[in-house]
Parts: sequence; C-alpha cells; structure tokens
Amino acid sequence: MIRKLQLLLISLIVGAGSLPAQEPGRTLEFHFEDRAIVVPRFGPKVEALPVLELVGVEVRYSLSAGTYGVVSGEHMIQFAVDHKVLLVDGDLIEARETPVASPGGVAVSLGYLERYLLSPLGFHLEPVPLGYRVVHGARFADPVTVRPAVADFGVTTTLVLTLNRPTEAEVEESPAGLLTVRFADATPHLDGSRPFRSRRVRSLTSKEQTVEVKLASGIGLLSWHALENPPRVTMELGPARPTPTPAPERGLVVSRTGPRPIVIDPGHGGDDTGAKSPDGLTEKELTLAIARRLARILESRGHAVRLTRDGDQSRALTDRTALANRLEAPVFVSLHANASTFSSVSGAETYYMSLDSASDEAAAATANLENRADGSVDERSPLDLILWDLAQAEVLNESADLALAVQGRLNARLGSRDRGVKQAPFVVLTGATMPAILVEVGFLSNTSEAQKLIQPDYQQQLAEAVAAGIEDFLRPR
Amino acid sequence: MNWRVALIAVAAVAAVALLVWLLQGGTPDVVQQEVVSVQDIPTPTPAPEQRIILLFTGADGMLHPELRSVPLPKEVHERIQIVMRELLAGPTTSPRLAPVVPYQASLKAVFVDQNGNAFVDLTAPPEPLAGSSTELILAYGVVNSIILNCPEVSAVQILFGGHEVTTLTGHLDFSKPLVLNKRFITRS
Repeated sequence: MIRKLQLLLISLIVGAGSLPAQEPGRTLEFHFEDRAIVVPRFGPKVEALPVLELVGVEVRYSLSAGTYGVVSGEHMIQFAVDHKVLLVDGDLIEARETPVASPGGVAVSLGYLERYLLSPLGFHLEPVPLGYRVVHGARFADPVTVRPAVADFGVTTTLVLTLNRPTEAEVEESPAGLLTVRFADATPHLDGSRPFRSRRVRSLTSKEQTVEVKLASGIGLLSWHALENPPRVTMELGPARPTPTPAPERGLVVSRTGPRPIVIDPGHGGDDTGAKSPDGLTEKELTLAIARRLARILESRGHAVRLTRDGDQSRALTDRTALANRLEAPVFVSLHANASTFSSVSGAETYYMSLDSASDEAAAATANLENRADGSVDERSPLDLILWDLAQAEVLNESADLALAVQGRLNARLGSRDRGVKQAPFVVLTGATMPAILVEVGFLSNTSEAQKLIQPDYQQQLAEAVAAGIEDFLRPR
Repeated sequence: MNWRVALIAVAAVAAVALLVWLLQGGTPDVVQQEVVSVQDIPTPTPAPEQRIILLFTGADGMLHPELRSVPLPKEVHERIQIVMRELLAGPTTSPRLAPVVPYQASLKAVFVDQNGNAFVDLTAPPEPLAGSSTELILAYGVVNSIILNCPEVSAVQILFGGHEVTTLTGHLDFSKPLVLNKRFITRS
C-alpha cells in the first residue's frame, strides 16, 4: 500500500502525461527465462518498470532530476516522463515519442520499450500468445524495401531512397566516394525494378543493415535528410569538399585577389529571419542589403566576389563556409546584426574563431577516431587532424588581423560605439581554411541604431567601411 | 416504514462493505505483479550552505559573477538543479544585471552521463530568440555557471522543450555539449 502511494505520488509529481485509460482486461504477459508477469496496457503503451525489473535491471527514480535511471552492468539509460530525449550510455537520443506517467510510474510503447530500454541492455522482444518474451541478444532486423530515384542537375545530383516503412537511417561518407546508408533496425532490400541513370551515382548495393552508394570520381555528399510521408532519405551530391590543408603563406594570400572570389555571407535567410527591429526590419533583409552593396564596392575595385546567398534563401551554416573553402576564397566575411536583452546596447563588433574551441574540435575528432570500436576508418587521418589544427592556428592569426582591420574601419567611419574585436566558436567560422570573420554591424534591438541601420546611406557607409577593412588586410605590407 | 428500514439497512451494509474494501487497499489488483523497483522518495536532509558563483549579463554583453550562499547537496543532479534554480531566478545584487535566459524559463530535467556531460532541459522560448549576443550569453551563462559549481561536470548541452537543437539563434552549435568558456566572463 505504501509503495502504491509512493508510485502514485511520483506519477503526480513527474507530470500527468496523456495516458489513455486502461481498458478492462487489457494486459500483456511478459516472459523472461522461467518467470512471467502480467502488465497493464494503456492503448499502445505498457507499464515499463515491471518489465525492466523482470529482466533483473535496477531502476532508480531521481526526484530532483525528474529522471528514471536504468542501470545494468556497464549500461546506463536515463529517461524522463514527457521527454522525447533520453540518454543511452552517454549518447543523447531523440525518440519518436515520449514516455508518460502511469499508475505504476511510467508507461511506454512496445517500440520504445524494446528500442531504447531493452535493446541497449542486450535484449529484444519476441511475440508469444497474450504477450511477449524478453530474449537475450540483438533483434533480427526486419526487412525494409528501398526504392532509389536519382536526378542529375547542373552541378548537383539528388538521390532519394524511398522506404516502405518508417525506420531510422543515417548517412555516412567514407573516403573514395562511398556513402553508407545505415538502418538502425532494418535489413534493406533494394527495389531494382526501376533502374536509374546518373552521371554522379555509379551503383547501389545492399549489405547487411546498410545500402552502399558508390559515387563518381570527385563527387561527395553535400547534405542529407531523413524525411517522412513517405519515409525517405534524400541526399544532395556534388563536387567533393576539399580536405583541410595547411594555411597558405601570408604572401600568397596577398597575391590572390584576382580570380579567387572574396566570399561574403549575408547572415540568416529563408525561414530564419534573425533579429528584428521594433519597426520590423529583419536581420536577413539588412545583411543581404549590406552584402550586395559590399559586393558592388569590391567588384568596382577589381575584386571577384561571391555571395553565399543572393536572395531570401536558407543556407546551412556549414555550407556557407564550405562554399568559401571550395572557391579557395582569400577571405570570408559573414555579416550579421545583433540583438540584446538591454535595449540601450548599441555598436558594432567583429568576431573571429576562438582557438580553444577549434582545438577542442580537433581533439574530440582525434579521440573519436581513436575510440572507434568498429575498427572503421575515419575520412581524416590523425596527421590530417594535426595539419588541420596547425592550419587553423595560422588562419586564426590572420583572422585576428582581418577582424582588427575591419573593426578599425567601422569605428573610424561610423562613429558608433566600438564594441571591439572578440572571439567566439561560431559555427559559420568553424572549418574555414582562410581568414574568416563575423561582423555584427549594430543592434536591431536598439531603436535609434535600428533607425540608422534601415537607412540606405548608413548601409552604404557600413559596406564601404567593411570593404576598406578587407582591402587593408589584403594590401601587401 | 418497512421500506425505509430496509433502505437504511441496505445503505449501512453498503457503507460497511465500502469501508472494508478501502481498508483492504482499494481495487483488487488485476496486475499479478507488483514488481516496480523505484528508489524510495528521498527523505529531505538539510544540505550544508555553500557559496556558489552565478553568472548574469550586463549591458556590456559580458557575464558578471554573483556569489550566493545556498544549501548545496552533494548529488550532482540536485546540485545542477539548485544552480539552475538560482540562475533562472536572476540577479539579486545589482539592478544593472539581467538573467542570462531572457524569458521565463524553468528546468524540466537534468541528465548526467558517465563522462561528465550534463544535459539540462529548459522550457522552450515562447518566441524565437535573436542575436549572437543573446545566444552567447545564454549558452555560456548556463554552461559556465554549472561547470564552475559542479566539478564533476566537464561539459553541458542545453536542450529546449525536451528537444536537442542545432542552434538557438543561428550562430552557436547547441547540438553537442559546450565546455567552460571564460572569455565572456568580465574581469572587472
């Protein structure tokens, strides 16, 4: 009785999920070795804790953290009522559904129970009359039919793998133009009834729980997405991204303003509007307007310029830097406008990448490489990572020079508050193989500064100041 | 009158039956097992007061430390919860400072893995946030405040509304745990 009251109290504390009422007589039997229990069933969900105890694992509830902890040997799973995310052996996983509070503590679907709570502990479920048997060992992957479709465009190709049922999939890129589409709990069967022709996709083969995609020479994975309705995996393919190389010497940087374009990145775009002024001016509009002015100024002075977007399009942060890397741009300048909790804050500031973060990234990548348990080879060798780190350190010094040059010109030209040159681990600056900065031209959250920022004259002054800073940096010294 | 006596007798019998049924523990279990192994609700024990460092933001776009004495439990989940509760409550010493989370947020859950990575789940912002300054202050205000007060924690990932997010305002990577970054803590 006391235990029941405790569980009821816990259920009330952790929040009332939308649990359907238990229908009379709706129970499921769970068998494990020579034992069996009957567990209440609420629509598609069942009480989770009795099943976990049946297989002999320890379950703890932390009242302060609001989480259940499942401990078995070296395995640890933490999950919480009304949360899609859970922690499985240190990996944060976003499940497709949430556990809900129940009279017994927590109820989950059979899929959740097997995939997230039993499978990591080395169990799976097998149907038996009136319920399930919990069995040691990995579940044999259910088949999934994969129907490929390929469309070649100008310089890119879209590959779509349509699945006959939803299942989790991940795409990994290996060296030598090989993609591996890995299915979490399914054995793929390729539907070859409609053969495809493509200049960039050589072949598709299914192997155990993967589909391997062989690409033409020089072609790589640009991006991929797992989508629903219908369930499918889409991949954008195009020119392979260059592998990180050491930074060019300074003299070389100075002499490269001819054919290689300066890459200007108007921040945000598409659904991502960025900051907004009290009058409704959006950051994505402002950065594009300034970027276009900046491009015209630089082009009029003999520089080649490329914008990462020249309209209201969404662009992934990493794709913006990747474009600059592919074009071997002499400099990369990302334009942004800021916002603050304090409406009085104003002024321009310029960021470059912080080395500590870059080092952490490289160290993490190295650790990841060394810790790969499956023996597979990462596309970057430890030597590449060391060279990459050295290159980043070199590029960082040049980025600092570029930031100082641009911020100096902004201060001199605008007379706005100098917020200085700063370092931050911004994604758009990570991985740039050339001097790269992010310029915050002002605060849209400040009414008077926003009124200036909306003025074409002020935008022109901003563009001229940034252009002058870029030229100061590129000028031979 | 007989029917009234009969009615009262029936009611009395029903009341006695109900009482007996309640004393026996309510509805008879259709569940044949009562095998839920859940840790007993911890008995509150007074934790010793300790000074913690909390970071709040100023108009200079920097993080300003504020010291506060609070009962601080030993268990890391509970300590993170206390730090976050104090952090979200906002500054008390200076009217020029503001909370690093710029909306009425609450902590929904805390996870900590074996490698010292903490995952704190905040309620999602009611409307999209903007600005790199907002993002830097929120990220490193939360991450630094937790790491500075919880030595077991080496990195913190912030979740919103039960979801992992790639970025908050389009500048920082929120898809993995962030490490201590003192660059944004004021030295003055």
